[in-house]
Amino acid sequence: MEAQKEAQRIMTMSVWKMYHSRMQRGGLRLHRSLQLSLVMRSARELYLSAKVETDEAELAFPAAALAPASSLPQPMTVAEAEADSPPRAEETIPAPEPMETQEARETESAPACSHLPPVPQRSLKANRKRRSSTLGQGGEAGLVPSKKARLEEETAPAEGKAEVEAEDLEKRQSQVEEGPFPSLARVLQKRFSGILSNTGGPPKPTAPPPSCELKPGCRQADNMINILVRTVVAF
Amino acid sequence: MAGAGGGGGLGGGPAAMGGSDLQWCFSQVKGAIDEDVAEADIISTVEFNYSGDLLATGDKGGRVVIFQKEQEIVSPLRVAVSSTRHSCGARSQHLPYVAMPQLSNKSRLHSRGEYNVYSTFQSHEPEFDYLKSLEIEEKINKIRWLPQQNAAHFLLSTNDKTIKLWKISERDKRAEGYNLKDEDGRLRDPFRITALRVPILKPMDLMVEASPRRIFANAHTYHINSISVNSDHETYLSADDLRINLWHLEITDRSFNIVDIKPVNMEELTEVITAAEFHPHQCNVFVYSSSKGTIRLCDMRSSALCDRHSKFFEEPEDPSSRSFFSEIISSISDVKFSHSGRYMMTRDYLSVKVWDLNMETRPVETYQVHEYLRSKLCSLYENDCIFDKFECCWSGSDSALMTGSYNNFFRMFDRSMRRDVTLEASRESSKPRAILKPRKVCTGGKRKKDEISVDSLDFNKKILHTAWHPLDNIIAVAATNNLYIFQDKAN
Repeated sequence: MEAQKEAQRIMTMSVWKMYHSRMQRGGLRLHRSLQLSLVMRSARELYLSAKVETDEAELAFPAAALAPASSLPQPMTVAEAEADSPPRAEETIPAPEPMETQEARETESAPACSHLPPVPQRSLKANRKRRSSTLGQGGEAGLVPSKKARLEEETAPAEGKAEVEAEDLEKRQSQVEEGPFPSLARVLQKRFSGILSNTGGPPKPTAPPPSCELKPGCRQADNMINILVRTVVAF
Repeated sequence: MAGAGGGGGLGGGPAAMGGSDLQWCFSQVKGAIDEDVAEADIISTVEFNYSGDLLATGDKGGRVVIFQKEQEIVSPLRVAVSSTRHSCGARSQHLPYVAMPQLSNKSRLHSRGEYNVYSTFQSHEPEFDYLKSLEIEEKINKIRWLPQQNAAHFLLSTNDKTIKLWKISERDKRAEGYNLKDEDGRLRDPFRITALRVPILKPMDLMVEASPRRIFANAHTYHINSISVNSDHETYLSADDLRINLWHLEITDRSFNIVDIKPVNMEELTEVITAAEFHPHQCNVFVYSSSKGTIRLCDMRSSALCDRHSKFFEEPEDPSSRSFFSEIISSISDVKFSHSGRYMMTRDYLSVKVWDLNMETRPVETYQVHEYLRSKLCSLYENDCIFDKFECCWSGSDSALMTGSYNNFFRMFDRSMRRDVTLEASRESSKPRAILKPRKVCTGGKRKKDEISVDSLDFNKKILHTAWHPLDNIIAVAATNNLYIFQDKAN
């Protein structure tokens, strides 16, 4: 448990260092990025192995573990444990899911969004995922509006649609032009800025969204780490 | 493995170095005394020329300051001349090393081969790469002197991207008596010039000029970490994180890529080049070190592109000392051939190793620089010190090594006697000819008198760059914005 905490602390530190080295005068230094990613990798390995051990320990008590089994509470406890365990607030690695929702709200509170169906949060999320083509979660398939339906919905506010399209186009173009790294870097930066704004205080991440969202949330945390352990190079 | 010393320095007696008992004494300190240090004044490289008469420093502000060793006997005329020297191309408001107490009349009269400012110039300016939208720092990463071939001196200086060849020459005469121009400096009508006048050379105050002769740009995508002049005196190499280029000193518009370790997919990147140097005598041989702690020796005769090394120096890792930071602390920050060319020395975060070029499997000597920091790696990672790149140097006779540490400490290792010593560069002991007292860092529980505990070390004071005079026992030690010069007592 102690090792897990330490690993988590080092991971958080590494994320901060990676984020700050992007803003360093003279640009990102490859050697430093590589070293940070190596530390990140070893910390992650230790963290995950420690996590597996604790998970196994939990499974050893099936009665206790299966009681809240269904879907909602267990991930919640995991999330809570993660949030509570480290000594300082900024030392947690927040699950990126809430950040994304927050970010999505910030960036996409454009008129187009206000016309979306009554569960705005969820469809927004689906939106993002489809666009960035990250997670095709089978369980969520039903919640993602079909392409056609979405287009129809978006035809209403012409201004909003144009905005969204422009954004999409821009993203696609930059991805084509710059290759995989800059887009990775952007993903990182977005996530980091999410972390920063979270740790900043006031806009605390909203409570994890409904049950079905939680699992992907947890998985995404690992996903984020996966991205982080690669060296990010801008050229 | 020949290990010398734990962390605190075993040399209990005098600072014994160079085969016989040798005491180091303070000679000079250059740089402002202010506590408030400007970032631009922090020294980023130190280098003696081949004769040792000139000592160049580069700083984070892109300036190069050259010190010249004054003659032992100082004539009044010489003093007058040296005081009126000035540099060309320097920004007058940035002359950090000029107004030194050592330049007082008194010390001049007792000068015993001291180093005084010879020339100061702005080598690199901050630039902006508009394509990548990145600022290019002016910080001088490395300076390398060229062997002297005529009255002028040449040196290479580099920042992250651009290498420049500078010529430093003296002028103490000027031509006078031209009648081609009028008093205002305008050319006179040739038809009105009736007399043939031969200009005459008149003596003038000595002026030291620094002029850029070649600019080698646009050949490095990553940050340049090393330059090294070849023993053929015609070519040099420059290394960045992933590539090494070979240049001809006269040709600026092309260079040959001799090493390229960039993977096709950057996600597969596992190591970077951290330093590179030519062999001092064999112009076809060079080495480069990597962030994995390995060194590759390449022979340019075998192929134009030296992606395949001739020799691979690596020490098996000790699994018991593995930690999160193993990769960082094993990264080599500097590699230097011995003057003889038989050995090379590498510096990693905690140790200095000497390798025999004929033995690739392990170093012949390993010296611990500050082993007591092994238990503090997490804190050093937190405060970024773990990324510090300490350099190292050989004594002129290859019998001793020197490298820096924290708290303005620097370490010396005597190879033949297996002794080591920790010395401190500080203003407190900077009385002329004051003998440096060996320092000790307390690693155990009980702290003896005159020992300093690990926890009270000042990690902001670090000695990353040191240089050893090629012929004499004179050393230059860069401590933040100050340059300390020490000599052995006999010198």
